[in-house]
Amino acid sequence: MIARSSRLFLLTIACLLLLGVAVIAGVALGETRIAPSVVFQVLANKLFAAGFVLDPIDEGIVWNYRLTRALVAASCGAGLAVSGVVLQALLRNPLADPYLLGISAGASTGAVSVALLGLGAGMLSLSMGAFLGAVAAFALVALLARAAGGGAISGSAQIILAGIAGSQLFNALTSFLITKSASAEQARGIMFWLLGNLSGVDWQDVLLAVPMALAGVLLVAWHTRALDAFTFGAESAASLGVPVRRVQATLIACTALVTAVMVSIVGSIGFVGLVIPHAARLLVGARHGRLVPVSALIGAVFLIAADVLSRTAIKGQVLPIGVVTALVGAPAFAVILVRGRRVR
Amino acid sequence: MFASRLAVIGAVLALSSMAHAAGPTQYPLTLENCGQQLTFAKSPGNAVTIGQAGTEILYSLGLGERLAGTSLWFSHVLPEFEAQNAKVPRLADNDPSFESVIGKRPGLVAVQFEWMVGEQGVVGTRKQFHDLNIPTYIMPTDCEGKDNLVGADGTRLQPFQIDSLYKSINQLAQIFDVQDKGDALVTDLQKRLAAAVAGAEQRQAKDISALFWFSSPDMDLDPYVAGQKGVADYMMKSLGLRNVVESSEEWPSVGWETLAKANPTVLVLARMDRRRFPADDVEKKLEFLRSDPVAKHMEAVKNGRIVIIDADGMQASLRMITGIETLAKAVDEFQ
Amino acid sequence: MSTVLQCSDLGWSVKGRAIVAGVDLQIRQGETLGLIGPNGSGKSTLLKLLSGIRAPGSGQVHLNGKPLASLSRRDVARQLAFVEQQADTSDAVTVRDAVELGRTPWLSALQPWSASHERIVMQALADVDMAHMGEHAWSTLSGGERQRVHIARALAQQPQILLLDEPTNHLDIQHQLSILNLVRALPVTTLIALHDLNQALECDRLGVMERGRLVALGTPDEVLTTERLRDTFGVRARYLTDPEDGARILRFHPT
Repeated sequence: MIARSSRLFLLTIACLLLLGVAVIAGVALGETRIAPSVVFQVLANKLFAAGFVLDPIDEGIVWNYRLTRALVAASCGAGLAVSGVVLQALLRNPLADPYLLGISAGASTGAVSVALLGLGAGMLSLSMGAFLGAVAAFALVALLARAAGGGAISGSAQIILAGIAGSQLFNALTSFLITKSASAEQARGIMFWLLGNLSGVDWQDVLLAVPMALAGVLLVAWHTRALDAFTFGAESAASLGVPVRRVQATLIACTALVTAVMVSIVGSIGFVGLVIPHAARLLVGARHGRLVPVSALIGAVFLIAADVLSRTAIKGQVLPIGVVTALVGAPAFAVILVRGRRVR
Repeated sequence: MFASRLAVIGAVLALSSMAHAAGPTQYPLTLENCGQQLTFAKSPGNAVTIGQAGTEILYSLGLGERLAGTSLWFSHVLPEFEAQNAKVPRLADNDPSFESVIGKRPGLVAVQFEWMVGEQGVVGTRKQFHDLNIPTYIMPTDCEGKDNLVGADGTRLQPFQIDSLYKSINQLAQIFDVQDKGDALVTDLQKRLAAAVAGAEQRQAKDISALFWFSSPDMDLDPYVAGQKGVADYMMKSLGLRNVVESSEEWPSVGWETLAKANPTVLVLARMDRRRFPADDVEKKLEFLRSDPVAKHMEAVKNGRIVIIDADGMQASLRMITGIETLAKAVDEFQ
Repeated sequence: MSTVLQCSDLGWSVKGRAIVAGVDLQIRQGETLGLIGPNGSGKSTLLKLLSGIRAPGSGQVHLNGKPLASLSRRDVARQLAFVEQQADTSDAVTVRDAVELGRTPWLSALQPWSASHERIVMQALADVDMAHMGEHAWSTLSGGERQRVHIARALAQQPQILLLDEPTNHLDIQHQLSILNLVRALPVTTLIALHDLNQALECDRLGVMERGRLVALGTPDEVLTTERLRDTFGVRARYLTDPEDGARILRFHPT
């Protein structure tokens, strides 16, 4: 028993260290070159009041631009990955991802409405519009799923189909708004946001994203046994003593909220929720006690890396981070599919 | 005797050159415009403009009476044309619809940007207009040495030449048979430009760098700044200033980190009446510079070396010369 | 003998059609009650209603005297285990993983995994003769092996009442017999839906379902009369006696 818990402790420390290294890397690497020594000096100044004399622009870039981006990227990656794990477990579908519930589509519609229609009369920011859109889309999907289901336990098929219907509706709305109201310039700006963008994040966003991600991961971690119980389906979970309706509602609402918040801050970053759970399964297996924290960690590190790549791949230009995750995620997914057939 | 003969020869030469330049247009007039041939049987009875630059050029050439509709405005019309402009219907503040343009049955459509009317024109393609016997004149400032199919606002293959602006004025004057007015306008602009750029060498020696910020899709997102070889870049180079942006796109998006590190000596902000993006408002741009934790440490912001120029003053138009004059004066005052 | 599980006037319908209607049933402690009936007679649904997996449209279920609806799923799962007819997964789980799930209702943050849980899982695996296949991947198992793992999972729950929905469907004869013997030998109360009428003869009591109603309840002798076999099952049957031990078996002919 002692050995087991001390091993767990060591493992936790190792994971936190890995996350720390990833964040530092995300802070040290970027569009412009800032010497690593300067990076550490800035951190020392801000965290320990070390009193190094530094160029205020360098200091500002490291602390206000890059550190915030790394933290938000980590939160977003962890949140989306864990949301993917939950949905794949509850819906019994390996292709489920957090955007299945219509959230990304709704967020896009909300953001586009604010940007192009001036909805909210200048009082609403893009992020707020995105969040409201995400919530509206999810509400619609939930209602649809409820209306479509009729059995005692919500069928995953109904949820998936309702999600697809809701997503298609809101995607169509987004397209309609863009073609009707946008000039090429506006469409270009919105497109950048829709594909995921960590450019404008600040400490306010960090204070929202990090607690949200933490709370989400912890809530899901609390339910790992229940998630395991879904291995053979919802009815099997019920017979194992899991209050299926309550667990489904709680976890789906949790993932919807975390995803909506993340998407409203950074736009739609795809593939993270879909691919990271599978990658984690390859590493540590399907038991959710290990799968959930490992997915969160891999998601966090992956998104930090993707952000760095999006800024450094092409000199002088920032790629939308959603493009990077797709370019990496799609072939990774293919590899997982092929390998998965040979193993086990 | 000799002197008076010289004078006569000189006068004849001068008269003949003036006559050559200021003579009436020979119709039918054929000219080459952005890769297409345009033919005019006579001076067009009326015209529609897409782009404030073309509008103000036509007003300056005294052709206001012949304007049937205007569109694509960045700011208030120049005060001297306000009365004239009030009589002309405005088809749209931004891009007009194809039908609203042809509905005016124009004899000419004067276009400021190829992305308005061109191969991927949002209003329509040139063929669509030419099929209806409506010639489209795209200002050479936007197509000469530029590939408008690469990059969001196009990419300059060759650096912008001021001659293309003069060519735009001259060709429009030619089409409407008011070449004397066109010549006078061009001469005036050339004089003003020469006066403004005197002193370029001294400024160059001091390595003064500059950055033009047009707008941003959102205050949080990367700003649209002036790239190399474009109109704004020409303005900077003609005054001996160095553009800190390295991209060759006309208005690329560059991250604030890169711009802050580049730390230009002078910041130039665009002022406009358009409110398509929140950052169109120059006050919002100023507020951002004052409050953003990194941007506020930029040299130009700390020392108040910020110059505000009309949006059209950074694009190929009559106001460009005013823009150069304003920038030159401001930079010299900062010394 | 006390009643551990009972239902009164239990019913469930979908789109106006009654799948189960007006069922009254009392299951006595320790007995093995077989549930037989043609396909579509409502056996599976009745089992799901009795286990609480499905909420009844009408009527009530009582578990050890308490209304089922008032108990938490966790409390129910500690007393009652249900083995579905077909349950599959595409997750990469091992046999042991699947059986360990059976301990779910007994685990919590305060009661984490321990040696006693381990022992119970090992015992369950041994009971279904799968102890040597603990590390095998689920996807490599045959239909019969999967069924045995499901039963082991139910056994790992250590229930007092075991509900099984046609557990011997995919098993080969050797395993069919061993499972039935195991189930009968367990000190738990068992409600088992069966297809094979001869196997049903071994139960303590039988309930016959026809079109959603419980049409007969009693000992096999009382219930499985030739009339019942003709009316409900549509076959002609004759009882034969095995000369070796005097046991009765049925022989069937079409009508």
